[in-house]
Amino acid sequence: MTPLLSIENLSVVIHRSDPGDSGRQIAALSNVSLDVNAGEVVGLVGESGGGKSMVARSIVGLLPPGSRATGRVLFAARPGAGEQVDVLTMDRAALAGHRGRGAALCFQNPRGALSPTRTAGRQLTDRLTTHQGMALGRAREAARELFEQVGIRDPGRRLDAYPHELSGGMAQRVMISLATGCAPGLLIADEPTTGLDVTLAREILRQLRHAADTDRRGVLLISHDLASVAEVCDRVVVLYAGAVVETGPAGRVLRTPAHPYTRTLVASVPQVDGHPVVATPGGMPLLARAPTACPFAPRCGHADDTCRTQHPATTEWGAGWQVACYHPQAENLAGNLAGSPATQAGGARTATQAGPAGPRPPAGPAAPVPAAVPRTVLSVEDAHVVYRSRFGGGGHHALRGVSLQVAAGETVGVVGESGCGKSTLARLVLGLVRPAAGRVTLAGHDLSRIRGRRLRRLRIRAQLVFQDPIGSLSPRRTAADAIAEPLRAQGVPAAERAGRVAAALARMGLDESILPRRPHELSGGQAQRVGIARALVGGPDLVVFDEPTSALDVTVQAQILQVVAELTGDESRGRVFISHDLATVRGFCDRVVVLYLGRVVEEGPVAEVFSNPRHPYTRALLSSVPSLGAGFAGPRLELVRDLEEADAATGCPLAARCPLVTDRCRAEPQELVGYGASRAACWRVPEMPELLRGGGAGA
Amino acid sequence: MRLLRFVARRLLLLVPVLLGVVVVTFLLVRVLPGDPIRTILGPNATEADAAAARARYGLDQPLWRQFVDYLRGLGTGDLGRSIQSGGSVTSELALRVGPTLELVVLALAVALVVATVLGIWSARRAHRIGDHSIRVLALAGNSLPDFWLGLVLILVGYSVLGWFPAPSGRVDPDTHLTPVTGADLLDAVLTGNGPAFGSALGYLALPVATLSIVIVAPLLRSVRASALEVLRSEAYTAAAAHGLPDRLLRRGYLVRAALSRLPALAALVFGFGIGSTVLVEYVFSWQGFGQWALRGLLFRDYPVVQASVLVIAAGYVLVFLVADVVHAMLDPRVRI
Amino acid sequence: MAAPGPGAGGGRRFATGLIVSGSVVLALAVLAAALAPLLSQWGPTEIDPAGTLAPPGGDHLLGTDVNGMDVWSRVLHAARVDLGIVVAAVALAVLFGSALGLVAGYLGGWLDDLLMRLLDIFQAFPMFIMALVVAALLGGGTINLVIVIALVNAPAYARLVRAEARSVRELPFVEASVTSGSGTLAVLWRHVLPNSLTPVRVIAPLNCGWAMLTLAGLSFLGLGVPVPTAEWGAMISLGASDVVAGRWWTSVPPGLFLLASVLGFSLLGEGLQERAATGGPASSGVGR
Repeated sequence: MTPLLSIENLSVVIHRSDPGDSGRQIAALSNVSLDVNAGEVVGLVGESGGGKSMVARSIVGLLPPGSRATGRVLFAARPGAGEQVDVLTMDRAALAGHRGRGAALCFQNPRGALSPTRTAGRQLTDRLTTHQGMALGRAREAARELFEQVGIRDPGRRLDAYPHELSGGMAQRVMISLATGCAPGLLIADEPTTGLDVTLAREILRQLRHAADTDRRGVLLISHDLASVAEVCDRVVVLYAGAVVETGPAGRVLRTPAHPYTRTLVASVPQVDGHPVVATPGGMPLLARAPTACPFAPRCGHADDTCRTQHPATTEWGAGWQVACYHPQAENLAGNLAGSPATQAGGARTATQAGPAGPRPPAGPAAPVPAAVPRTVLSVEDAHVVYRSRFGGGGHHALRGVSLQVAAGETVGVVGESGCGKSTLARLVLGLVRPAAGRVTLAGHDLSRIRGRRLRRLRIRAQLVFQDPIGSLSPRRTAADAIAEPLRAQGVPAAERAGRVAAALARMGLDESILPRRPHELSGGQAQRVGIARALVGGPDLVVFDEPTSALDVTVQAQILQVVAELTGDESRGRVFISHDLATVRGFCDRVVVLYLGRVVEEGPVAEVFSNPRHPYTRALLSSVPSLGAGFAGPRLELVRDLEEADAATGCPLAARCPLVTDRCRAEPQELVGYGASRAACWRVPEMPELLRGGGAGA
Repeated sequence: MRLLRFVARRLLLLVPVLLGVVVVTFLLVRVLPGDPIRTILGPNATEADAAAARARYGLDQPLWRQFVDYLRGLGTGDLGRSIQSGGSVTSELALRVGPTLELVVLALAVALVVATVLGIWSARRAHRIGDHSIRVLALAGNSLPDFWLGLVLILVGYSVLGWFPAPSGRVDPDTHLTPVTGADLLDAVLTGNGPAFGSALGYLALPVATLSIVIVAPLLRSVRASALEVLRSEAYTAAAAHGLPDRLLRRGYLVRAALSRLPALAALVFGFGIGSTVLVEYVFSWQGFGQWALRGLLFRDYPVVQASVLVIAAGYVLVFLVADVVHAMLDPRVRI
Repeated sequence: MAAPGPGAGGGRRFATGLIVSGSVVLALAVLAAALAPLLSQWGPTEIDPAGTLAPPGGDHLLGTDVNGMDVWSRVLHAARVDLGIVVAAVALAVLFGSALGLVAGYLGGWLDDLLMRLLDIFQAFPMFIMALVVAALLGGGTINLVIVIALVNAPAYARLVRAEARSVRELPFVEASVTSGSGTLAVLWRHVLPNSLTPVRVIAPLNCGWAMLTLAGLSFLGLGVPVPTAEWGAMISLGASDVVAGRWWTSVPPGLFLLASVLGFSLLGEGLQERAATGGPASSGVGR
């Protein structure tokens, strides 16, 4: 059967025509070939800059200005009929017919991709009337059904909503309905789950699988989330520096990758089962022309002279499995692959179990508690934070009675979905917001009492590492200036500053050539190292990491996580690591605190919380994390609604979403109660094993 | 309902601003040098004459007294008597506002239409020759001194070509136009006076052209920039990538989004136009508000100055209010 | 393709073209001002006893005006007055407006509220009207004109910088500086100020053009420089009555010079704006 889409030797070169760097060109894609069949979900993975979006854009004939494409993008207007048309040679009229009806792109950032001045319903009926020839009244009816199909509650009302009135998850669903509303043969989803919470991400991916299974569409899923791709996709294509390095059955390729780059990628992803990430130094190059050698050779441990001088051709590695490498690796990745016999033999250094979790798992790698009682560097007691709305009245209650202790030498992970108050907690600890009630004690001083110069002095005791590495550096100041800033604020003399900056820099594994650079001249990884160096240079008692890796690419993320993990050995200070991704905190935290809607719902030693979560919310979070490894091993639980639709009025904040909810949950507020080594705010914990075995819980 | 509340709130906010304006102008005209009595009486008047004249206009009263009297008058719509002409400021004002509004509103309307059409046209051909020429032309128009442009148009259109009427008056008196609102074009329509309509149009052509040319550039630039932003936005790209037809794209996804920023700027330009009319009216001997206010200002005619400043401030704020309402209608993201 | 043809490159070239042509025109204007005495054999207020309203040609390159003064010489000398007043006034406006806006925007609170209410009252008037009223009340004269024009333009800078400072204040790097323990002044000076002035750089030239039109407009109405001083607006005013009689040389040349200078500023400003819009990391879309 003819594939729906077959890309043959597609190369895209982009010429940049700014006077500043005239003649500069970028080989965005080099000899890319891939097929997508009807009813099949194909994953396209790789880091940013690898050319994923360029592939998507060339399929719908939307290449950026100044680009030249060679090769063929063959599209079967009627799959199976055998006639294929090259998208690259289509004229305006043919392209207009092809876009939407042939291949429809589902954009990465749904908020940006929905027109702000047209209702969601109109945007959908526009597609329906254009591509399915419906009359307006009929289209509205169909739009309503489509909205319902993609899981939009109350579709009648949402039809008349403007995009800004939709939540992020809702917007993403609308975007999918827009793409499917074109009734395309091929659905291209560009990072559809980026920025969404795990529970929501799963739901969106399910929609895509549904489109392939039920409607026999071809689906091209572009994603950096390897675990989801392994789960959802039939086949996967791995891109590196604009070239296909490996392609094959998704599950097998991602669990037992053969190409060293794919192996690097997989090893860089933190896992909830506690497997440590393996960082590979370096970054992806931006090529000026199609590579004549293996683009991954400089970072590759197996590279030899052949790799550095010749570009490897694609070779068969297994059934439908191809690798572009001279030294494809056969043995399994150490410890990463559950269910594979080599895993255990491969010697996972961690004691973490890969099989079904027992109730009492061995301690994680970073659990030892020092004998002497360590000094408490941070103590938050029953803190409430309210953001007043601009024009009086109400306000947003971001934290509702949070308590937290951090001792010197300890690393505490704070996790929760977006909007649960994680960042507010960081800002509170640093004295950037004042609590409406409660106390924050930092290094023995009550942060909420003091002001002015003394507050400034105290602030130096706690430092923050930001989510956006480049944005947290002043665009007009050099890296040296940025790192030295806490020292300058402390009044450290210039001569001494230079030495301490150099020391902090060395600790981050950066060399001094970076000092005179400005933020836009730094890569994300370098900028984040500068940010960490700045946080450390003044010798603070507490370092708060606020999602320091979420804006970074997978392999860079692994590098930064490794840097952070190395810091955890430092007994002189405490650390708080905030993340929406449970897997990242698993590797190196001692304790973990789970936040939900401004409250702590569970806290305890990391190994305990991850292997034996007490609170339904924690269990649900763990259940929904996609994983290439074993994933969460215990009985799973699924929440019933999106976070945006839940509200915390009275009783348990999770009541609206919890599958185990009873009337008592809705009426009684829940306090943290100790259960074994951890504490949880749920009265049903004692009967939980029973409940999980019985009905009520999603599988 | 929400709209009404918004308008009511904004109108309430107008009160302190206008009160501030009243106080500041009231004090400023009296504190700063210049004496209206001397200017009307001339250099030969005696001290006694001056004192009598002062008493006639209440200027011998203490300052607070004058202010209270003025405020009391304001409450009943009485803006006092002009020291220059001795006439009621309120009725003089009523006579003068029409012609000026006619000028500015027409010019703004012409400029808005031109800016919208050319701005979107220009954005769709961004960075091609047509786009660049339009932008340079608009820029040149914006750099023209309005009063000089008026003179040049008179020189060409009247002195050399003789196509347009002489720059004095606003309508041919032989058409016997009955004044209703003061805006001649409107009055001609209201009274069904065809010849007067044509004549008024002829008189209006040059001053309106002058004003439009001068104010079109910022509007054009804004429409073009917004349209370009929309064209390059992910939202528009997404709609185009889904193969929506050109007409639908333009109507449904481009125009409204591109115009959403225009109202606020149009309000600003309206104010600019009001400022320009002072000069343009001068050049075209247009018996409008600008001329009247300017003379009041030059002769320190206190009531006239106070009244015109108040009217401008109130008008300007009202125009911004209208702009905000239109903006909210165009852009659903704006909450009012 | 939604984004049009040649992309940002054409924009950059156009921007450069605008900036270069604007700079050339302004350089010529400055040159005319500097070399005025050398370029004309008559003084700017020197009266030719031989005749008034002499047409161009002969002794007078551009003829004489109603007072018998040489139009060419006056047009050149006027460049000094106009450019001088405008540049001084705008510099003053930038300085005061930005300082006020920066502090109000970063600190917020009552100071900000107070400033904004004041600006509200101030800006309840079209700028030219404001200039007109203040100039009429203050009286003419070079220094007063500088003050008037600075005064009416400063609020715009205050607003601009305030808005910018308010958004810069929310950026992570400012927060990073605060958490580093830096004091308010250090944060303002080292981080907020340099990142808040970008729009000022772009607006200032455009503003110069507009200020020049204001100055000429005031002079045209007799509220500008004292009478015999050569100034373009005043010259146009003097020649206004000649136009109806068809005598173009008394008012058209000063208008052309005025237009050229304003256009120079406008081209420069538009070019800077265009460059700012197309600048930064050139076009997008490579991979993801």
